[in-house]
Amino acid sequence: MVPMIKSSLCAVAIGALALPAVAQATPTLTIYTYDAFAADWGPGPGLKEGFEAQCGCTVNFVSAEDSISALRRVQLEGEATDADIVLGLDTATIGEGLATGLFTEHGIDLPDFDIPLEWTDEVFVPFDYGYFAFVYDTEALDTPPASFEDLIALPEDFQIVIQDPRSSTPGLGLILWVKALYGDDAAEIWQGLAPHVLTVTSGWSESYDLFLSGEADMVLSYTTSPAYHVIAEDEDRYQAARFDAGHYTQIEVAGILASSPEQELAREFLAYLVTPGAQAILPETNWMYPVLEPAGGLNPGFEAMIDPEPALLLDADEVTANTRVWINEAFAALQ
Amino acid sequence: MLTIDRLEFSYPGATTAFHFDLTIAAGEIVGLTGPSGSGKSTLFDLIAGFLTPNSGTISLDDRSILPLPPERRPVSILFQTDNLFEHLSAGTNVALGLGNAIRADDPRVADALDAMELPGLASRRAANLSGGQKQRVALARTLLRNRPILLLDEPFNGLDDATAQPIRRDIARLVVERGWHAILVSHQAEEIATMCARVYAIENGKARLVTEAGSNH
Amino acid sequence: MPAGPTFMWRPGRVMSGATIALAIAILIAALLTVLWTTGRSMPTTGSSVANIGHLVRMSAIQAGLSTALSIFTGVIIAWMLDRLRFPGRGLVVGLLSTALVLPSLVIVSGLLAIWGRNGWANLFLGPLGLPTGSSIFGFWGIITAHVILNGAFAGRIFIDRLAAIPSEKIKLGRSLGLSSWRRFAIIDASALVSSIPGVAATVFLLCFTSFAIVLTLGGGPANQTLEVAIYQAVRLDFDLGAAVNLALVQLLVCAVIIIPATTLSPPATLFGRRSTLHWPEPGWLTVLQAALLAALLFAFIAPLAAVLAEGMGPALLAVLNQPAFWAASATSLWIGVASAGLALALALGLAMARGLLSTSKLPRALLGLPVFTYLTVPAVVLSLGFFLLARQLGLPPSNAAPFVLVIANALLALPFVFAAIAPPLEALSARHEKLIRSLGLSSFAQWRHIEWPLMGRPIGYALAVAFVFSLGDLGVISLFGTSEFSTLPWLMYRAFGAYRTNDAEAIAAILLVLSVSTFILIPKLFDWLTHAHD
Repeated sequence: MVPMIKSSLCAVAIGALALPAVAQATPTLTIYTYDAFAADWGPGPGLKEGFEAQCGCTVNFVSAEDSISALRRVQLEGEATDADIVLGLDTATIGEGLATGLFTEHGIDLPDFDIPLEWTDEVFVPFDYGYFAFVYDTEALDTPPASFEDLIALPEDFQIVIQDPRSSTPGLGLILWVKALYGDDAAEIWQGLAPHVLTVTSGWSESYDLFLSGEADMVLSYTTSPAYHVIAEDEDRYQAARFDAGHYTQIEVAGILASSPEQELAREFLAYLVTPGAQAILPETNWMYPVLEPAGGLNPGFEAMIDPEPALLLDADEVTANTRVWINEAFAALQ
Repeated sequence: MLTIDRLEFSYPGATTAFHFDLTIAAGEIVGLTGPSGSGKSTLFDLIAGFLTPNSGTISLDDRSILPLPPERRPVSILFQTDNLFEHLSAGTNVALGLGNAIRADDPRVADALDAMELPGLASRRAANLSGGQKQRVALARTLLRNRPILLLDEPFNGLDDATAQPIRRDIARLVVERGWHAILVSHQAEEIATMCARVYAIENGKARLVTEAGSNH
Repeated sequence: MPAGPTFMWRPGRVMSGATIALAIAILIAALLTVLWTTGRSMPTTGSSVANIGHLVRMSAIQAGLSTALSIFTGVIIAWMLDRLRFPGRGLVVGLLSTALVLPSLVIVSGLLAIWGRNGWANLFLGPLGLPTGSSIFGFWGIITAHVILNGAFAGRIFIDRLAAIPSEKIKLGRSLGLSSWRRFAIIDASALVSSIPGVAATVFLLCFTSFAIVLTLGGGPANQTLEVAIYQAVRLDFDLGAAVNLALVQLLVCAVIIIPATTLSPPATLFGRRSTLHWPEPGWLTVLQAALLAALLFAFIAPLAAVLAEGMGPALLAVLNQPAFWAASATSLWIGVASAGLALALALGLAMARGLLSTSKLPRALLGLPVFTYLTVPAVVLSLGFFLLARQLGLPPSNAAPFVLVIANALLALPFVFAAIAPPLEALSARHEKLIRSLGLSSFAQWRHIEWPLMGRPIGYALAVAFVFSLGDLGVISLFGTSEFSTLPWLMYRAFGAYRTNDAEAIAAILLVLSVSTFILIPKLFDWLTHAHD
């Protein structure tokens, strides 16, 4: 083990020394994103390699705790920010992003996307998407509920874990999912769910861990979560419960900052992001669906996923204007 | 000459006021008696600098020691107990009297221990010494520091007579040899009588001379 | 010394303590100010935090109950371990404080492995018809988790206080034939009483500001804390002004606890070198203690054993082969060492100054306040403040991150370090000040010959706590960590977030082993260092 420590320390030292020299020689594209995206096992390294091979530039991913934190960081840094692109906002937070007025139009001719709605946004470019769903263990549960009503009707010892909408993307997704399906009656659904909610965790990791260790019967996650277990672990016991009324959609997007001195390079990167080559990297690193047919096709592990139709999505402006009210509505029921 | 002149003191909020007037010549041991709480410790704390008088002076050879903080006063104290740090060796405890360069192997430490008839005990931990040995180690340190004022705060309490007697003799001899000004607080009339020519009793906050040299014979 | 100090004694030490206190106060004021002024220039989408009164009330009830039960548990633990001698006792003592400093993510999964629906407890109790179900969730789940974590910490501090009772007291008590109860009331209680306010204040603050445990085990928004609301104001609303206001509310509420704790805590009086004298209880009581200890082992140690067991899979080797693991380990180690050193220096400075001011209440309180202040300010507010401060000083956040991590971790560990070293240091001052002064020892000589040799064990423990605290930190790093700058807990958290549960469990087990070894070895090392030269 000792040689390894040494070599990795050396690598760190050399990396630190080499960085400024590289930065002077070639332009640098700085992308603020959420941590899991930039992680070793995330899409970051593959995309960096792929784009650097064609741009003659250096791609520098800077990770924040999550995408909204990345946005807040740009807001705090203002004009002086190093970021050229913020990557990872989603359909629930696009409105927050637009409200900052920090983004500029992408100006790219977008390809035809294979996503559940017509994409017309001039500012943000979608790069992957997924659906929120409850994941269950087929070895412990034969017939999962097929609707929120089914779930509510189950005995009270049927427990689910969900996430805090204030700190977690799926947590917010559930608020919007319930709202999209039930509108003004959402509060009643929340009241019905309340006895089944074992706990509300701050992040997705905590609740997913609770589920995997058998503490709860279902966990709020994504329709694609089982794909990870199938593809990476060759384990097919975990499945998403299909709700007939539909699943709420999460589309992840990237946008260019108006303050960026590397507008052209940033546009090139967004265009690269929606090429079949880049899209091929995303599914098995970010565990989301690609926005168009990836090079080499989609891993069949994804084909086995439930059909989430109809895909649900609320208007971004409506979401931004009402998120807080809806969260309080849900919390009032959960108290 | 140690002169305590019209020294006034009272504890904040207390009604008793202390008034001290006494002188001690070089080479002299003055005795101090009185019931517990009468003010013997108060007088010691005033001389050692742990308390500040309201008025009056304490001077050594006509120079006031009041402006000096306790650590710079020309005073050595021998307490009844707790004179030593039990986790340190006898030698280090003595060496603490050296001031800056505290080294247990300093030859002066060995000399002081020898003078106090404690040869070879330098490396023994203080916790493992007998009561008499502890007081002798503390006395060795006093010898090393060689401060002109020596406050003896019942140092023989808890020692049997056979142990205490030679220490008393050594102290009496050192006070004369070195010209120290010593005050002995004790409850034992006999001890006071053998060691001190003059004896004061503290009553109602004042030190009253009760025995003058030879007057009781 | 009723008349107070007559001359400024050790002005250097008093000044150092005052400087440290002032520096911490200025730092926190600066962090809040920079956040507040930035907040005024930022557009906000409006604040949605409501019902502050309810949040404060809930937090206070939860924290108060947790604290009272933790102190009670801690006293029982210390009492048992002080009396019992058995093989592996050192390991048990070492394990006690480990729970507190590990990332709560790890602890929660360890607790669930024992007390959860599929936990070991249900495995045993279920067939007996006594299933506990999901009782670890909800209000009592939070209380249980807090008592297990903090009770063990309190017990660890109290054991040292009991072990430091001078052997004469024990001899005296034994020869007087004190009954077990009188022995506790007369000898043990007087040794513990000086530590209780500090430990209680620390535990209260930890529970009051508890975040991850409350969110994970809380069961829903009914059991949330003010700290969570502040997080909401920053994250969701980006209303920095509101966040600062809420942070000030939290600061004020906590002050109600801290000020009495720092003012009233009596200076410790009983302190000696660890005594080898052992005075066991009568037979029947020893049996009771052993039985209680067995229950304790199950409640406190089993969750840790579960973490260990789950991490020892094949993923361990894979993790050990990742360069990222070794880079994160190196970062964790040096940040831990640096922040432990800093925390110790700060605590020593403050405690030395306090020891000199044993009779003046106000200065003592002023020197005690900074110890706890950092713990009362929400991590998200501090981290954002640091971020903004670094920018205003012209430092890129990536360069500032290591410094922030060291400073923040040192300040977070300060209450624990202080609780370990201040009472014995003050007791030393109280007992020996006259002799030290009349000998005219220099400040350095006092440290070198008197304090250092007697303080070896508390210092060792304090360093271990601070080191492990930093080793297990997930709060500060989560706002500064990146894929390039990572610590072990951050690596673990990211693995959890990427479905890599096995990797995460392996790292958790490694963290646990590192923490326990630190708690066992570092105090031993310092004990040896200080005994090595008299």
